[in-house]
Amino acid sequence: MGNKDYAILDGKKAISVDKLITLISFILLLIIVVIPIFMIVFNTFFSQTGNTWKFELSMFIRQMTDTKNLAAMWNTIVIAFFATIFGTIMGVFYAWLLGRSDIPAKGLMRALFNIPYMFPPFLGAMAWDMLLNSRSGYLNRFLMQTFNLSKMPFEINSVWGIIFVEVSYFFPFVFMQVVSSLERMDPTLEECARIAGASQGTVIRKITLPLMKPAISAGALLILTSSLAHFGVPSILGYAKRIYTLPTRIYAIIYNAGGNFQGIREGAALSVMLVIVVSLALVLQNIILSSGSYDIIKGKSMRPTLIKLRGAKIPLFILSIFTLILIVVVPLVMIVLMSFLKAYGLPLSVSNFTFEQYERVLFRGGGTVDAIKNSLFVSVTAGIVCMFLGTLIAYVVQKIKPKGKGALEVLSMLPYAIPGTVLSIGVILAWSGGIFGINLYNTIWIILVAYLARYLSFSMKTSSAALLQVNNSLEEAARACGASHSESLSDITLPLIRPAMVSGFFLIFLPAMREVTTSILLYGPYTRTLGVQIYSLREAGMIPQAAALATVTIGLIVVLNTIVNQITKDRKGV
Amino acid sequence: MANVKFENVSVSYGKKQVLKNFSLEVNSGEILCLVGPSGCGKTTLVRALLGLSKPDTGRISIGDRVLYDDEKRINVPAEKRNIGIVFQDYAVWPHMTVLENVMYPLRKRKVPKDEIKSRATKALEMVHMVEYANHLPSQLSGGQQQRVAIARAIVVDSDVLVMDEPITNLDAKLREEMLIEIRMLQKRLGATILYITHDQQSALQLCDKLAIMQKDGSLCQYGTDDQIILNPANRFTFEFIGNSNFIPVIEQAGKVYLDCGDKFLYEGETPSGVSLNGKDLAVRLNDVVFDNSSNIKAKVTSRIFLGNEYDYFLTIGNKEIRVEQAMLDAKEHGVVNEGDTVGIKFLNPHFYEREEV
Repeated sequence: MGNKDYAILDGKKAISVDKLITLISFILLLIIVVIPIFMIVFNTFFSQTGNTWKFELSMFIRQMTDTKNLAAMWNTIVIAFFATIFGTIMGVFYAWLLGRSDIPAKGLMRALFNIPYMFPPFLGAMAWDMLLNSRSGYLNRFLMQTFNLSKMPFEINSVWGIIFVEVSYFFPFVFMQVVSSLERMDPTLEECARIAGASQGTVIRKITLPLMKPAISAGALLILTSSLAHFGVPSILGYAKRIYTLPTRIYAIIYNAGGNFQGIREGAALSVMLVIVVSLALVLQNIILSSGSYDIIKGKSMRPTLIKLRGAKIPLFILSIFTLILIVVVPLVMIVLMSFLKAYGLPLSVSNFTFEQYERVLFRGGGTVDAIKNSLFVSVTAGIVCMFLGTLIAYVVQKIKPKGKGALEVLSMLPYAIPGTVLSIGVILAWSGGIFGINLYNTIWIILVAYLARYLSFSMKTSSAALLQVNNSLEEAARACGASHSESLSDITLPLIRPAMVSGFFLIFLPAMREVTTSILLYGPYTRTLGVQIYSLREAGMIPQAAALATVTIGLIVVLNTIVNQITKDRKGV
Repeated sequence: MANVKFENVSVSYGKKQVLKNFSLEVNSGEILCLVGPSGCGKTTLVRALLGLSKPDTGRISIGDRVLYDDEKRINVPAEKRNIGIVFQDYAVWPHMTVLENVMYPLRKRKVPKDEIKSRATKALEMVHMVEYANHLPSQLSGGQQQRVAIARAIVVDSDVLVMDEPITNLDAKLREEMLIEIRMLQKRLGATILYITHDQQSALQLCDKLAIMQKDGSLCQYGTDDQIILNPANRFTFEFIGNSNFIPVIEQAGKVYLDCGDKFLYEGETPSGVSLNGKDLAVRLNDVVFDNSSNIKAKVTSRIFLGNEYDYFLTIGNKEIRVEQAMLDAKEHGVVNEGDTVGIKFLNPHFYEREEV
């Protein structure tokens, strides 16, 4: 070794790779997460007169005491409460039925039960609105004629209608958590109870359910926060009857303000209210469901003893099939049928069918093709950027562990708990000239910025989990073998976590493709996304066209999902 | 010359100082086993040598090559230190084949392409792993992965090899084999090896020199294995390096007594010029011999036959001690039976300050 090694004086050395990565992570999180959130709070409590900002509580109080806003808050809470209760019961029941009983056709039913998870809820709301709205819903009319009723039997444009649709799309959160937990449960725990003399019913009540409690509460929490923040279903079902929730109320205020700054400020104040409701719900849930975590769930899967349903087998099987038809098949079929109809309201007969709607949507301009391109662009870009950024932050948190790593972790996870509507307002306040005069409003970039904040935690989580598996000594061995720090990252660490990064990308790309909550507040004349386009077609009364585009979207999602499943299935774990 | 030299090295993690003014030299071409209890700072020393953590003060050098010197502000980065390392968890890269793993250090050192493969194959030959060249690490057993790690460490002909608990994760039989192979490998390569372990047994089997580290991170003894076994520097070394008995003694009117409930006059060898009052007599299990002429009487509570030796539990007064009797000795002098009262004598006794347990 020559003298050149002697020359490395640590005092004068350029900034190390680790420090650089840490610094970049903090700066990016500051830009993507902190600034929008700060802008919401700041604009809620400070008002501008001339060039000076002064503290002002009156606007916030006015919004907090506005009867319409309070009604919206009440609706939000009622809907979230019942959606969580019913969704959890349904999720647990079907998870147990498919996971532990001898009900037939399990594999197929499980696949079908997961469909609502990838199906955008607002499309479901559209379908149910076509079927059960009280003016002209197809199913309502059919029932009225068949049974000679004097009025429409169902009203989907109601709080209960919203709850019904949300339950059918949110229950998979609990279902999937509990199924996987049931599969990993050590069956001897149940067998011991049977041997000790407990009946089958007692085992379920005293052993199985308590052991599932962490999985159940995690799933229930997801339903609760999703419902509180949810925009699509209440906006599609609620507007006709002026039923607002906080997210739809925020949208209405911003929409009516038409770019007026005071309106945006009012939306910001309402956002603070929504965040408070979400936080309170989280705290409350924590108190109610606080329980230690159980370690008795094992990593390796075992074959648990299946419980014989005997006489109840056929009725329960029929019930499951009925549920599946109701929540999966009916809305899907309705949308597809509607997309072939010449006009909304015509009877569903072959003579009224046409391909015209597809032709209109796909080939006659109207911005649909642009919307598909826009959605592809923002989803792919957000997926790729988040994939790298999330991995970067995960690396800082898991491997470099600098001072303030806790803050970094919280910051990157924060947008996950913040409703998409709220995030959009923050992004509007921050990037339409508010900071350094940067104005991204009405451009595709503002949607991208919002997506980055919204989906960063997805990729950060998957990369974190992968990095935990990569022992430090692997990188250190590379250093000792003559690799510089950055070479050890690119030769060793990155290849090892690449599969996780790829799945992180798809975790972002797929939901971003069908996203509507965030982009509905951010789109400009030329920057509609797929979700926004369907939403606006429907708002404009072009329901069959909306249905055609929805069908295309669903087809796209199914194809992409299949591709992802093929990719992830072939991947060999390292 | 490739002697590894630590001079007054201090390392701390945050506020916790792990090593304080630590000095140690590994002679060129020797195996030095650094032995110490878990958590005493052995791995910290390795990391400082490799350049993975930066000492606060001191100097680390290999031959005349300075790796770290806080006064001259020299800190050679890890990748330029040219030290072979074998980690406890092997650290074989799971996404590369065995051959790719071994070729990696050569690639990083810009060795000509045609040379890389032949050198890597030669290194694999040395650890008898050539036929696994195209396997992935996940297809190998723990012992095989460890061989790959060793091949990777020796492939660049570093004159210094560091092995940090390389065989701890292997089963007993494989451990024996690996120790022999490491020894033979060292003979062939002539490399300087710093071997870190908490297991004194394997250290004794392998080492040219032995260095004992204490819990507080200080070096308490350095020397050849027989030097250390025969003349342990303190109670810690004595206790750490082998199984032993400790019997309290008192000194009354110039005479030394074993103090275990009853008092027994001790007539064996004693160091001159030191008071033994309140100290412990320390003796190895196989240095306790039966001799009925001794006035120290013990009762045999149990006898276990272990194949190559007998293991006894005896009580002297209220004190229980263990004794090992080699087969040869048992053949010549006969065994004692459970329930017998026997006289015992202590060979090679040491006297150390009493430690409160």
